[in-house]
Amino acid sequence: MRLLSRPYLGSTLGQHIAASLQIVIGGWLLAGLVGLPLGIAMGWCKRVRWIAFPVFQILRPVPPLAWIPLAILWLGIGDSARIFVVFIAAVVPWVMNSMQAVDSIDGLLVRAALTLGASDRQILTRVVCRTALPTLVAGARIALGNAWTTLVAAELLAATAGLGYIALNASRTLEIGILLVTMAIIGALGALFSIGMHLVTRWVAPWTESGVAT
Amino acid sequence: MRSPSGETATREPVAWGAAAIGLLVLLWWLATAIPGLVPPRVLPSPVDVVLRFGALIAEPFSGATLLGHAVVSLQRWGIGVLAAIALGLPLGIALAWLPPLRAVVTPAFELLRYIPPFAWVPIAVLWFGATTTTQAAIVFIAAFPACIINTQLAVAQVDPILMRAARTLGAGSARTLAKVVLPVAAPTIFTGLRIAFSNGWMALVGAELVVGKQGLGFLISQGQLNDSASTILVGMTTIGVLGTAIDVVLQRAQILALPWRPVSARHVE
Repeated sequence: MRLLSRPYLGSTLGQHIAASLQIVIGGWLLAGLVGLPLGIAMGWCKRVRWIAFPVFQILRPVPPLAWIPLAILWLGIGDSARIFVVFIAAVVPWVMNSMQAVDSIDGLLVRAALTLGASDRQILTRVVCRTALPTLVAGARIALGNAWTTLVAAELLAATAGLGYIALNASRTLEIGILLVTMAIIGALGALFSIGMHLVTRWVAPWTESGVAT
Repeated sequence: MRSPSGETATREPVAWGAAAIGLLVLLWWLATAIPGLVPPRVLPSPVDVVLRFGALIAEPFSGATLLGHAVVSLQRWGIGVLAAIALGLPLGIALAWLPPLRAVVTPAFELLRYIPPFAWVPIAVLWFGATTTTQAAIVFIAAFPACIINTQLAVAQVDPILMRAARTLGAGSARTLAKVVLPVAAPTIFTGLRIAFSNGWMALVGAELVVGKQGLGFLISQGQLNDSASTILVGMTTIGVLGTAIDVVLQRAQILALPWRPVSARHVE
């Protein structure tokens, strides 16, 4: 389309897409980096859970979008504010699923490993992480979905590039063609993420049925 | 006082959690109490937030008091959610009962579902302007899929033997639906409603941030424009508390409305 060749609002469509993708992947990875170890620790060690879980329970009812104004106030309307909001949206599924994954492991497996002389670290890497993998990947998938949804909202508010930003601008300037194209791209990318994560699930944990709880 | 071990098992986690939250609040207060460490513009002290809460209740800010904003938000949310239920329940039942309809609707529906609710905000603004309709439409879009999907699932999962039994006993379609299908499907439908309600609430906040002249989302975006972090924090807390309250009310409603649920669950297993 016309958008592909001619820059709109400062960059071409490809650049807007790239801007959105960068932030969504950045925030999602960051959330994983924090959420995955934290969730595993919360599932593994009761004390960590007692400390961290209530904090999460208090923060969870606040929608990630409600953090946007605070993020703008703290970080300005740069990339960091959007990464922060995406991080907030993605970190909860990461943590909750990793915690549940580790928590739901059959105690028998752990005891069997202990009997066979495995050390704590060996149990964590060989037994716990393996059995928990499907749930972990499901958490990653939900986190990515949340991240994408939230990013679109964040871009409506605080951005100088990105798909949400052009969508709102197109709506203000009554360019309905551009608006619809943008929405279609947002939807297509969301679908792509979801399908991609399903493929990843099948690849890393082929022994599970495809229908992991969402 | 030493309590028996069974009691400590439940009490200890709560104590740890309370300690953690207490410590966080203390750190927050210390960070703001030591001058020069964190400017109040960035993070107001807990005391300021509580005072701001009182002030927002007492006097209007950005056109309404805190209560006024909350009522406006709840209204928009209510309209959107009710519309989603009014359309989603019958359509979900129809989809479960009429396979041809399902074959037509499902692909289009699956496609649209991947567009996040907020991506509809610009087009809703274009169609409806900055009105209550826009907000309610976003709530509707966010709440509708959960309504329809869960209803369809719930109705599809009803044991056909039950329906055939009702038919054999002489019940018509309408009667089977009202007396057999809906009661059996109700728990799953309720789960869908809970998801729909909370999705709608989240989407509303997003929509209000972008457009509108009132509401809790608008309140926090005004807090941001006025450099008032305490207003934002009050607004965020209110949004979180109301969201939780909605969920608790619905849970209670489910217990009240479906007292047979535990019985039937046991019966099935």
